[in-house]
Amino acid sequence: MAKSNDLARIITGCKGGDAKCFSQIVDMYASRCYGYFYRLTGNNDISDELLSELFVKLVEKIGSYKGGSFESWLFKVASNIFHDHLRSKQRRKKLLEVQITEFEFGTIEPKQSDGELTDKLQIQLGRLDEDTRELVMLRFYSQLSFKEIAEKRSEPIGTTLAKTHRALKKLREFMEG
Amino acid sequence: MENRNRENLRELFEKFFDAEQAESYVEDIQKAEQILRENPAPEPDDMLIANIKAEIAMRLQARRAHHFRRVIYEVAGAAAVILFFATVSLQLFIKDPPGHGEVVYASLIPTAIWESNDIAADDEDLAVYTAQIEQIEDEVQTLQSGDDTSSSDSTIVELEMELIEINGDFWKG
Repeated sequence: MAKSNDLARIITGCKGGDAKCFSQIVDMYASRCYGYFYRLTGNNDISDELLSELFVKLVEKIGSYKGGSFESWLFKVASNIFHDHLRSKQRRKKLLEVQITEFEFGTIEPKQSDGELTDKLQIQLGRLDEDTRELVMLRFYSQLSFKEIAEKRSEPIGTTLAKTHRALKKLREFMEG
Repeated sequence: MENRNRENLRELFEKFFDAEQAESYVEDIQKAEQILRENPAPEPDDMLIANIKAEIAMRLQARRAHHFRRVIYEVAGAAAVILFFATVSLQLFIKDPPGHGEVVYASLIPTAIWESNDIAADDEDLAVYTAQIEQIEDEVQTLQSGDDTSSSDSTIVELEMELIEINGDFWKG
């Protein structure tokens, strides 16, 4: 309870434009949000950009947070940012007519920006389709309930449950295989 | 990530699948999520976090400045509107008394005529007065030109007196 009161106090501070409160929010959520972006993109540089964009957007959008689960709200913003990134990438792809980094479709092994091979999980995640991968990451990093995820995806909760189960089972098989 | 499942997964799955299936599904999900926990994503760089905080501080400062400017513009705009309406109101509703040499046209109209509702009668009176004045003016001109041999100083004075009297009657209504 004390934790949620603290969070409420911090959010109120953010709404009042208090830089220290924003710093606290960054400290609290940067790691999870970065993990979410990294697992979706497999790229440190892009994850850096998306994380920066998320918190900058938070400054602009904090006024629109009207209560409820802050984490849910934050990850909805994060998810929108990721989708915007995908869309701009698609546009670039069409314009340049070059092959999109095939990692996101799981056809080649992804590499980190520093040249090191990514971990095994990242490789296996790359074998899942984009939508499924996002579903798994949203579930894992955002702490959204299945009901909230289903609402966000505009699909029945049974569908979300079945898709998540199927995706996680497949991922487990990839990892163990 | 330990406490992320605030909802009762088993109960949730049992709404859609039989108890045995639900248990199996929950187990699959928990095992897969355990794999995710055992393979954490890299942490964001400290420098990145510092840059984000600096960027936020800069944006907040810019937002404050922008807000301040907006308030100033709004206040200035409101003051300009008030000033404009005050000036217009002063010009419309407050009139200075006429100065020397200024003609107050309204006061030339006889009160009785101004307030009368009988327009026909007023027109008739005006016609009579106008005819009399014109007649007297003609007579004065005749006298002044010397055409009338029977004229005398007393006649002129008499005519002038008559003219003054008619004028007096006219303005009295």
